[in-house]
Amino acid sequence: MTIWSTMRRAIAMASRSLIRQPARATLGVLGVAAVGALLLDMLLLSEGLIVSMRDLLARTGYDVRVTATEDLPRNGPRLHDVQTTLATIAALPAVRSALAVRFVDAEVNLAPDMTIDVSLEGVTGQAPHPWTVLRGRDIRDAGEVVVNDSIVTASGVAPGAELMLQADCGAGTEALPQSRLRVVGVADFPFELTNEHTIGTTLETATAACGAEGPLQASVILVTSAGDPDAAVKAIRTARPDLGAATNEQVLGRIQETGFTYFRQISSVLTTITLSFALLLIAVLLTVSVNQRLGEIAALRALGFSRGRVVADVLCESALIVGSGGLLSLPTGAVLAAFLDRILKNMPGIPSELHFFVFQPSALELHIALLAATAVLAALYPMHIVARLPIAATLRDQVAE
Amino acid sequence: MTFGSFESFEPFGSFVRSRCPLLLVAIVLTARTADAQSSALPPVAISRHLAEARHLSVGSTIRLSTDRAGTDVRDFRIVGIYEPTPNPARLGTPDLEVRFHLPDLLDLTRDPATLPGTEPISGLNVALTDPADAGAFARDVNARLPGINARPASEATGTAGPFLVLRRFHLAIAAVTIGAATVFLLALTIMLVDERRETVGVLRLIGLPARRILVQVFLEGLMVAAAGAVFGLVLSLASERLINRFFQWRYDTALIFVRITPDVALTCGAIAVPLGAVATVMASWALLRRNALRLARR
Repeated sequence: MTIWSTMRRAIAMASRSLIRQPARATLGVLGVAAVGALLLDMLLLSEGLIVSMRDLLARTGYDVRVTATEDLPRNGPRLHDVQTTLATIAALPAVRSALAVRFVDAEVNLAPDMTIDVSLEGVTGQAPHPWTVLRGRDIRDAGEVVVNDSIVTASGVAPGAELMLQADCGAGTEALPQSRLRVVGVADFPFELTNEHTIGTTLETATAACGAEGPLQASVILVTSAGDPDAAVKAIRTARPDLGAATNEQVLGRIQETGFTYFRQISSVLTTITLSFALLLIAVLLTVSVNQRLGEIAALRALGFSRGRVVADVLCESALIVGSGGLLSLPTGAVLAAFLDRILKNMPGIPSELHFFVFQPSALELHIALLAATAVLAALYPMHIVARLPIAATLRDQVAE
Repeated sequence: MTFGSFESFEPFGSFVRSRCPLLLVAIVLTARTADAQSSALPPVAISRHLAEARHLSVGSTIRLSTDRAGTDVRDFRIVGIYEPTPNPARLGTPDLEVRFHLPDLLDLTRDPATLPGTEPISGLNVALTDPADAGAFARDVNARLPGINARPASEATGTAGPFLVLRRFHLAIAAVTIGAATVFLLALTIMLVDERRETVGVLRLIGLPARRILVQVFLEGLMVAAAGAVFGLVLSLASERLINRFFQWRYDTALIFVRITPDVALTCGAIAVPLGAVATVMASWALLRRNALRLARR
């Protein structure tokens, strides 16, 4: 008899054992499904932010970011004399195009007593703008702006309308004059925060809104390399050693070291806890089940079932519970991940396009491997009981009872 | 662990903080012996992380500049080393901070075009005689000084602060865990009750009413659940210290990661004990509805 046919018979026997006790089998499967769903979500969470951020960075089309220091854009001081810096960087052979961006906080006056906070992005350079125009057209001249859908919903403005904007450029308490801006389009900004009101315009317009004249300042210069981002970074660092330049992967590395550590840690802790929980659940279920059927197993052994066969029965029972629960955990985990993602996306400063739980085949493979290992480990003790079962003594005890 | 001359240091309230990576992009550090000249230098306090990273101690003189090129370098005297306020958002990143007296920081960072005394500052912390007046005071300031945003400290994080979001996330995870635990508990109680079907059958046959047995099972479930809850609390109290020590060591922070408060303990008890008791009753209910003779017969 081949191993395969032995296993097939063992699976059939294990199925009948589970069907005979539907309540406990169902509860076992449901328990594994709940734990498996949590396990899957924690595996998705461990790398989800990085995968999502990598995707977001790649989608913008820029593969190098230049800042005044090694800090992430928006966290450090601004770049000065932007036009000269931009020209130096754009002239490098390793660079295809470059775009300077300045972020400014501002308020838009909708009515005499009604304002909304907005984030203004002023850009200058040859590279494509960091937004996608959905309706209307893109900016061409100073004073023109594109707004996101959130502003359209809040204010009802449409292309052709005018906005009164008051910038807050960190210049103290003095009230800056209002700027009259013309809306020419509605755009989608990849890094906008959830419910954030975002406006895109020229750097000159943003600078003028800050009441500043003279050399322009920028928060970051976005660079598209000629094909090799590492070479572009090297060239920029050689040309301007006073600036910080980083590829998308280096930016991700920095983010990974700081902001996302918490979620990786909580994911590791909860993965360990859920696995221990699943192990305990299956081990207890099988052990109690086996203990209740000792007489039955001894009788099977007396009828000629080999030790390996009854041990295989227990292993298959464990595999069936974990397998069914694991299958059920996939849709449950997906629903739970969507729910948890919605909660975490309320975190301040998180771009609306960023996701905490991102499906990756490697996470699913690890999920399956961990559950399989759990099924085997949980079955070890009950298998040991069955393997060491003294047939005659057990049968005698059963008759005596 | 000691942090320099923390005790003898001036109150930090009079200092403003600057993160080195943000502002002091090029720090030229030299450790000189304190002498009469250096004691006249403006004082600064530095974070423990910075002191450890650059092997600095109280009395050292450091040279700070606001740009990488190191232009307009100024000397400062370290008069204290402090433990930085733990910040979960910067977990894993050393807090390389320097705290200045505000006039010293403004002198260091002032743009040549800016007149002294007109520099912007990020915010003002106000200590009220009666903290209960915070709301009214903020409203008053907002009304009198347009362009200023005054908020009570308790509202500073807003309704969607990271801690509130994390709290919701943890509650959701806890709800799923409780769901899984309930299923586990039900499966266990069903098996345990099933093991005692004979005993229950005999009790029914000798005349004990089903209700009486159910009460007995309920009380038993209650006791087991209470014992389990107490054990769980003891386990979590023991692991609390272990988890905190591990993560504090791992991230070199004073942040407290796990704290079992009386509220948390009570909530756990309030969920676990009734849940355990109800699971036992639910598992027994089906058994008690069966015929006593069938229960007694194996």
